[in-house]
Amino acid sequence: METELKKERLSIPVAIIIAGVIIAGAVIWSSKSNANLAQKQQPQAIAQQGGNLDAMNPISKDDHIRGNPDATVKIVEYSDMECPFCKSFHLIMKQIMDEYGKTGKVAWVYRHFPLDSIHSKARPEAVASECVAEQGGNDAFWKFTDRFFELTPSNNRTDIETVIPQIVREIGLNEEQFVSCRTSGRYDKHIQDDLDNATATGGNGTPWSIVVGKNGKKYPLSGAQPYSSIKQLIDLALQGK
Amino acid sequence: MFFQALQKVFRKPLYIFLALITSLVIFLFAVWFPNLPLIISVMGHSEIPFSQKFDLPISFLGSIITNFTLLSAFYTIAIAILFGVNLTMIIYFLRKRIVDVEKSGITTGLFGITSGVIGMGCATCGSFLLTSFLSLFGASWILSYLPLNGGEFGILGVILLAFSIRLVAKQIQNPFVCSI
Repeated sequence: METELKKERLSIPVAIIIAGVIIAGAVIWSSKSNANLAQKQQPQAIAQQGGNLDAMNPISKDDHIRGNPDATVKIVEYSDMECPFCKSFHLIMKQIMDEYGKTGKVAWVYRHFPLDSIHSKARPEAVASECVAEQGGNDAFWKFTDRFFELTPSNNRTDIETVIPQIVREIGLNEEQFVSCRTSGRYDKHIQDDLDNATATGGNGTPWSIVVGKNGKKYPLSGAQPYSSIKQLIDLALQGK
Repeated sequence: MFFQALQKVFRKPLYIFLALITSLVIFLFAVWFPNLPLIISVMGHSEIPFSQKFDLPISFLGSIITNFTLLSAFYTIAIAILFGVNLTMIIYFLRKRIVDVEKSGITTGLFGITSGVIGMGCATCGSFLLTSFLSLFGASWILSYLPLNGGEFGILGVILLAFSIRLVAKQIQNPFVCSI
């Protein structure tokens, strides 16, 4: 009788522990594959599930940089132009740049991560953005992405043949030259390299960002996180913590 | 009968507490999971003041608005609540009638939990568990053929959990006994 009572008293805590173990097990199972490896090889970076943050390609002149290229903190975003969360994150990042960009403390780097399996239009749109940059430079690239995210509905519902030429005209580029660039295929490798780099660093969805802080320390950031989270992370990155 | 069973279980504050804690854990798991390595790193960093350690995880809670669609936010919250209620009712049932455990309700609940967990998150731009799981088999293209890009699993989770709660409630009200 006493044993049964004891059993009964123990059942709730035991059940809670079992539930906790199941949840913890799921978390560990999903993150264990590469976390240890990344941690051993790269003490400067936070281990990220399924990738190694230090595999990130160095920021170079080929990148599209908004703000001070020598900023203490650089936010490298891997983005899909048809992803609705990239669209909302784009607005959040513009807000961040309004606050931190002017002082030169933070720079925003845009890289391509088209999720072809669910957004077939994202890759041609990425090519278009590169062709805009080729003709109009870095400023034109950012004008294009800002306007593109503003005008398009996401989720592969964009009418590419209407919206892209419209933005190209608004920016004042040569349309014939632009069309010839789009069909040339010369940016295919660049976009594929960005995509491969996104997955190598642990990106498995968009937007995927790596915040590079003081002393080169890297912080992974998955998803369209709120303004307050980005701000917290920037403050940590500025201190190199 | 269903509500009577709920009343029976949640009359005791301990069970209310258990349901709330479980639901909260599941909700936090869903919201924090994509950024767990970052959260763990910040929490474990010795140079970050204790008060500041919690700022980042708390701010991530806002991602239920910025990083979820209306539908995925709905079923993520629903799964968390139903998971808490389901687990609490199963524990109540197990405590009261350990010998008469009828497995169907519990099994349905487990299917619901599994389906719900893999379907949680940002379905449109790569649901964290579902996409990873399908990628293992090179089958993430399957998502493009689903009208909700994988959100179906979340909805299925809600339905199965609700069904499981109903079955457990039935068992609580009408336990299997050997009649004279």
